[in-house]
Amino acid sequence: MAIIEIHQLTKYYGKHKGIENVSFSVEEGEIFGFIGPNGAGKSTTIRTLLSLIYPTSGSATIFGKDCIQYGPEIRKQIGYLPSEVFYYENMKVIDVLKYSASFYQNVNMSRIKELSSTMELDLNKRIEDLSYGNKKKVGIVQGLLHEPKLIILDEPTSGLDPLMQQRFFDLIEIENKKGSTILFSSHILPEVQKLCTRVAIIKDGSIVKIENMDTLRNDNYKKFMVELAAPVSDGFFQLDGITNLVKDGSQFRFLFRGDINRILDLMHGQPLKNLLIEEPSLEEIFMHYYQKEATS
Amino acid sequence: MNIIRLEMRRGMKSLITWTVSLVGLAFLFMMIYPSLAAQMTDFLQIMKSFPPAFREAFGMTNFENGSVIGFYSFVLIYVLLAGSIYAMNIGVSSLSMEVRDKTADFLYSKPVSRCRIISSKIITVLLQILIINIVFMISGWLILAAIQSTTSGSGRVDIRLYLLMTASLAILQLFFASLGLFISSFLKRIRTVLPISMGVVFFFYTLYILNQTLDSAELAYISPFSYFDLSKIIQTGAYEIRYLITAFVLIALFIAATYRFYMKKDLPSI
Repeated sequence: MAIIEIHQLTKYYGKHKGIENVSFSVEEGEIFGFIGPNGAGKSTTIRTLLSLIYPTSGSATIFGKDCIQYGPEIRKQIGYLPSEVFYYENMKVIDVLKYSASFYQNVNMSRIKELSSTMELDLNKRIEDLSYGNKKKVGIVQGLLHEPKLIILDEPTSGLDPLMQQRFFDLIEIENKKGSTILFSSHILPEVQKLCTRVAIIKDGSIVKIENMDTLRNDNYKKFMVELAAPVSDGFFQLDGITNLVKDGSQFRFLFRGDINRILDLMHGQPLKNLLIEEPSLEEIFMHYYQKEATS
Repeated sequence: MNIIRLEMRRGMKSLITWTVSLVGLAFLFMMIYPSLAAQMTDFLQIMKSFPPAFREAFGMTNFENGSVIGFYSFVLIYVLLAGSIYAMNIGVSSLSMEVRDKTADFLYSKPVSRCRIISSKIITVLLQILIINIVFMISGWLILAAIQSTTSGSGRVDIRLYLLMTASLAILQLFFASLGLFISSFLKRIRTVLPISMGVVFFFYTLYILNQTLDSAELAYISPFSYFDLSKIIQTGAYEIRYLITAFVLIALFIAATYRFYMKKDLPSI
């Protein structure tokens, strides 16, 4: 059963385009990645699902019900972590969480305590005294305390240190195992790769691609920077899987997709001055998608 | 209920500050009366030397009879002004502060309808106005009674007249609070509230003063302050029904428009 179904969703802010004809669906039990650079329309889509904003055209259903018409009813089973977390500044953490809990029927204090201790959140501090990362933890706890069936995460890891990110991912996986569906929005590819089963890529307000994570993983691009000690022939880097090749003196930069051993074999025996292998940024992957779209 | 409880708690500090200020203002001003009363004839002489427009602007028209209630009507003008600013403050900020403090995403993604959030906020504003009026109504009366016991021979203050005059505070506050809600329902982002509320209140007060000299019954519809002309209330012992109806019709319209606009409003993203 589809938990979220989005049909041709379009949102214009006056003349400025937010999203256009966005359609995808998220199945029950999935961890669905929603990825794209900042300003691509991820938050716009999510905020429409929560009826914080109203669509210009198109529609969306959650649990099979229209997300605007049945908003309050649907939101009983949604946990939402906004990308920017702000709470009532002069309230204590525990009071914000209790206030949040007062909107739901099935929350007990032990759940709040449990989540907060996992995330190492001090309940007695005032919101205004919290660092950004700690506010994010408040967001995480308030998003999960009512054990929602659908968890919507908008850039959840920003501000969290690596240890806390890991704890958070563990929490999400536990909720997922218990049966929650997760919509995970991010602009960081590796964290989506780690967690998600399927992913929708959005750019400039439109969905570029919806793909299984396995497929995307096979599209495993690496970014290379090779500086050679001795000059090589022009055709040296003409290898299947190398794209975006740039030559700058003795330095070569390119993206490579495929078995990494082939590159190492190629360079075997060549004296190197320098070698850098990186994860390409999302932008670079996108660039590749656009090139593919332009040629096809 | 949980929203109202939280909203009341958030507004408590400002409610207490403004209530104490209004009562304090009335108390300090009324304290002048006993010393004035001792030299009332001289004082009235001085007052007569001011141009009529000036006297009207500062609410000094009812001094002529030199009574406690006449002086109270002069004091009440300032209470009405301050009270209107407070009401407008809470009206404007009630809905807009969630956007300003960026807590809107938190509150509006909870499983409650927008209609219920708006209603809860409006009820909170009404409760605050109710509280400040009850407290002021009682303390004002105590102040008047105390002043009266120290001065002699100026006649007893009619409690009905007192209630009628002082109740204009409640209606004016309802007017400005609902106007504030209405304004906040269509303005995109309100950063500071006080300039808006002071601006609007003084604008209407200036209109009222201007019309005091023009004395046009039609122009009086423009400013809510002229709906409750205190000197007329003292003379007639009643509100003017047509203005009272106008006030409540406008309040209802502002509230209805607030729902209409805010229900369909896109909450700005952070």
